[in-house]
Amino acid sequence: MAEVARRQKQRGPGREITRRDFLKKSGAAATLATAGLVAGSCVLAAKEPGTATGVKYAMVIDLDRCFGCRACMEACKVENNTPEGVFWMYVFRFEEGQYPNVRISYMPRPCMHCDNALCVKPCPVGARYKRADGLVATDWKRCIGCRYCQVACPYSVNYFNWVEPSKRQYLDWQASGATMRRVTNGAIPPYKNPDLDGVAKPERRSIAGGSHTKGVMGKCTFCVHRLEKGLLPACVANCPVDVYHFGNINDPESEVYKLVHSRPAWRLLEELGTRPSVYYIGGAPPTSELRQVEAVGWRKS
Amino acid sequence: MTTQIMRKLPYGVGEWGRGVRLVMSLALVIVGVGLFAYSRQLIEGEIVTGMRDIGTMGGVAWGLYVAFVVYFVGVSFAGITIAALIRLLSLERLRPVARMAEVLTIISLVLAALAIIADLGQPGRGIINLLSYARPQSPFFGTFTLVISAYLFASLVYLYLDGRRDAAICAQRPGRLQRLFRLWAAGYADTTEERVRHYHTAWWLALFILPLLVIAHSTLGMVFGIHPGRPGWYSALQAPSFVVLAGVSGVGLLIVIAAVLRKTLRLGQQLDIQVFRWLGNFLWVLTAAYLYFIVIDFLVANYGGGSREAAVFKELVSGSYAWLFWLTVSSFVLCFILMFGQFATRHYSISLVVIAGVLANVAAIGKRDVIVVPSQTHGNLLPYPPGAYTPTWVELAIIIGLFALGILLYVVFTKVFPIMEIHLGRNEAIPHGEDTRKRRKDGGMRKRMFILTLMAGVVLAVIGFSLVAPLGPTAHPMYSEPRVRFAPLIFVAGIITTFLSPVVYELFPDKREKN
Repeated sequence: MAEVARRQKQRGPGREITRRDFLKKSGAAATLATAGLVAGSCVLAAKEPGTATGVKYAMVIDLDRCFGCRACMEACKVENNTPEGVFWMYVFRFEEGQYPNVRISYMPRPCMHCDNALCVKPCPVGARYKRADGLVATDWKRCIGCRYCQVACPYSVNYFNWVEPSKRQYLDWQASGATMRRVTNGAIPPYKNPDLDGVAKPERRSIAGGSHTKGVMGKCTFCVHRLEKGLLPACVANCPVDVYHFGNINDPESEVYKLVHSRPAWRLLEELGTRPSVYYIGGAPPTSELRQVEAVGWRKS
Repeated sequence: MTTQIMRKLPYGVGEWGRGVRLVMSLALVIVGVGLFAYSRQLIEGEIVTGMRDIGTMGGVAWGLYVAFVVYFVGVSFAGITIAALIRLLSLERLRPVARMAEVLTIISLVLAALAIIADLGQPGRGIINLLSYARPQSPFFGTFTLVISAYLFASLVYLYLDGRRDAAICAQRPGRLQRLFRLWAAGYADTTEERVRHYHTAWWLALFILPLLVIAHSTLGMVFGIHPGRPGWYSALQAPSFVVLAGVSGVGLLIVIAAVLRKTLRLGQQLDIQVFRWLGNFLWVLTAAYLYFIVIDFLVANYGGGSREAAVFKELVSGSYAWLFWLTVSSFVLCFILMFGQFATRHYSISLVVIAGVLANVAAIGKRDVIVVPSQTHGNLLPYPPGAYTPTWVELAIIIGLFALGILLYVVFTKVFPIMEIHLGRNEAIPHGEDTRKRRKDGGMRKRMFILTLMAGVVLAVIGFSLVAPLGPTAHPMYSEPRVRFAPLIFVAGIITTFLSPVVYELFPDKREKN
């Protein structure tokens, strides 16, 4: 081996030139390519539409009005056919203090549809993406089921399809088929919302619903299939006390714009820099003093 | 080339003894159980695992699979490092374990890829969509292109080129494996120029793989390190500590494998205490570095005032993960003491080094779990109740099946190819008096072809990278869409072609001269 090492030092001039030449050439090529890449990225970035124009959806949640009836959760489950234990919209019920000085409070938690979405960043295939109108969408036909968005999301709004979601969505899974037919007169199961199967403009991707097949991720879509028809999201439409306000935050005439600019508004975990599209007015951000009561869970049996 | 034909293939190649067949059939059975478990998961969905949604369901989205993806990729550290140490620092002492380490790297990367597939909810879609849509903004892009493609392929090339001489030697002996050896040798004749050429290629290859090693293990750390929403993960230490922990587990497992092969193949002479001394010293340095990372992490999280980090660490130190955490830390400490003690007293014993290697791997596996799971169950920023995670038999069977598959592949390799470089005594010396002018004459075409392949690879990679989703903020759908479909495939093909260039350089046929 020593022999070989010695020979290495005796490289002739021809050899040396070839290598230098080669390094030069490849260096030049790499520089050119990098320059092209950077230029290309800049050009494309410049074309990005400004966030100050066009429609950008936002939700305002008035905590002073919420009394924790969870009708929004139910509406969401019915609209989106989500399986048992899955709550794309979830309403926290909190209590704090010691008896008799106890205070109850509520806080709905939909997907925040962040502008700087922590779940969009790590998606390896671009199934989770940010739309120009502010929606954070999940293309369930592209999702590979790595669940990276789920571990990245600080709000824990993602729900994975651990099973094939072909069973009844909002009736007892344990009941037999005959019982179900008798109870519901054959009407409800297996109900599927046909609107969820379509593609959404403008990207023409399958982002409505999320409980289509096992092994893909689902989460709140702001009911994109309803927005396309000019309807409000199911939770907004079904709230009995108008906790939710929904609209275009870029429009100074819209209700959400006026609310956010007329009352003290805050967003959840704003310190993370996620810039959510969901604003809260009234109430206060949850603290560690709060105890959750009547939490939902996952049926273990 | 001297034609001294061996009476027997070296290092037990081609000898399928009773013990070997027993180990192989046992491994096959365990692989079968793992496959059965995986079939359950494919049919019923990942409901059969212990994982559930983070948040209201109180589960974890990543469990054992991801912990072992990280572990297997970590183990792959060994091969490249050893190869680089030998080539770049001329550490001839480690030469006997070079090929063992290379094979360990390749097999562990295959296992890592399989563990990723096991974790995916849509495995078939996963492979196709990664090739057509992969985005460079995701740390998985690094795992997918750099670790699984580049790292694996570079290691394969390295193993292949380094094995040609032995293949040529083995090919002289008629037998069932002769055809394989001939194919592998691909016309290698062990002339001086071929040796010099291989020496140069291996040196350059080692030089280029070394930064790849750091980048690849760092991107794996970034998979966890970039999430401000996961206290316990969100740390700049994550990337460097992954590189170091990879070294701990890789070198540790290499020590164990070298010891097993030493016993079973009776390699006591070739694998002497010096090899284990070097590996062991390497191990304690890395373990010390990792213990330092643990201490820094602990101090910052607990004293720094981040209440959420402190909550996760409290759970580690005295909560439901305490047993695993302290098992891990004590394994690290014990491993360090064992090896450092031997270093300090300058008295080495192979069995103690092997125990340290085993401890290093226990610690590495424990630490991977302690990294992956607690931040999901106890690192919630909203007031969800704490979660819990217990792996089910399906997950355990798949992981154990992967280990069995690794052992099976390793045993098969040792039986079809010499696991150590063959020494033919004096014949190794390079014959003097070869005409150096002849070398220069045939070099032109070979070099041109080499540069052509290299440039083609680099250009393909650059084109591929510029056609994937543009880098930038996430605020627009264009950052989630590749400019051209299958651009990641072009990128990966470019990387593979780049690493194919040394093969072209070494295998390009000489001009036929009448002699």
